[in-house]
Amino acid sequence: MKHNYYTTLVLFFIRLVLGITFIYASYHKIADPGTFAKIIYGYGVFPGFSINILAITIPFIELTAGFSLILGLFPRSALLIINALLVGFILVIGFNLLRGHEFDCGCFTFSSHNHRFANVDLLIRDIAMLVAGIYAWQKTKITTRIGFRAS
Amino acid sequence: MTSKNSIAKDIKGSVILVFFALATAFLYNSFSPFGIPLKGQWETGQGVVSANSENDSVNASIEINSPQIILDIVQKKQRIIIDVRPREAYDQGHLPSALSFPLMEFDQGIGQILESINRQTPLLIYCSSFECTDSHTFAQQLIGLKYENVRVFSGGFRQWQEKEYEIEKNET
Repeated sequence: MKHNYYTTLVLFFIRLVLGITFIYASYHKIADPGTFAKIIYGYGVFPGFSINILAITIPFIELTAGFSLILGLFPRSALLIINALLVGFILVIGFNLLRGHEFDCGCFTFSSHNHRFANVDLLIRDIAMLVAGIYAWQKTKITTRIGFRAS
Repeated sequence: MTSKNSIAKDIKGSVILVFFALATAFLYNSFSPFGIPLKGQWETGQGVVSANSENDSVNASIEINSPQIILDIVQKKQRIIIDVRPREAYDQGHLPSALSFPLMEFDQGIGQILESINRQTPLLIYCSSFECTDSHTFAQQLIGLKYENVRVFSGGFRQWQEKEYEIEKNET
């Protein structure tokens, strides 16, 4: 059907963009967890005991979900994880923007600059990815086979 | 298939993926040369914050955490004080009689340091705050040059300011 063809195409595009974004975002965090831990600390919302553990685990959750999405292995579950991560990022970034707390998101590179406008852009980008992620999750058919199929 | 069942399946798949990710993360972290311990030093009252990784420049044993002790050192001129923040920050305000050697200019300033400060002189390095590790990076470079008595003021200029101790400014 025509509808299914376009939906499958859109799903493929979303899967590729979200998957690559999350794999790419995990790379520098895995390479330098110490710096990433400092960035998590800079958000000012996490208790001290959790910071190193988050710095060690979050990048691998991003990496696994990204690869899983691209390879079509548990795609709906990967989307669920990615959406949950995005909700978390949006809440933390939004909370810090609201209270005027400057921070370095550390999303794709570690930078020493804190730009409020960059962080607003980041919030908008994360919301856009979440919308795409929710759409993809709703439209991805539940299947025991590996791969993507539109419902 | 009901949506309740499908969500249960999604969650089950998510648990498998997260479990795999966590196992890989901890395994990689324990073997990676860039791995970090499970607990870092994130309490500002206890010194400069850091993940406590092996590659970290932060060395808690050379830190002085008490601003009262620092005040004493400054007033009695017991150590040469070095401000490693950028020059503009130094000009806007610094600890009394502190010298400016921005970390970024270490390579250019090193000749002057070696010429004017001998290896046995007690030194006190500071940067902006507990969140700043530049003072430790600078201290490690000096220790590498065989300076024997290097300490770091962990609270940095921000804590000095908060305590409302005397500040010197460079009028331009």
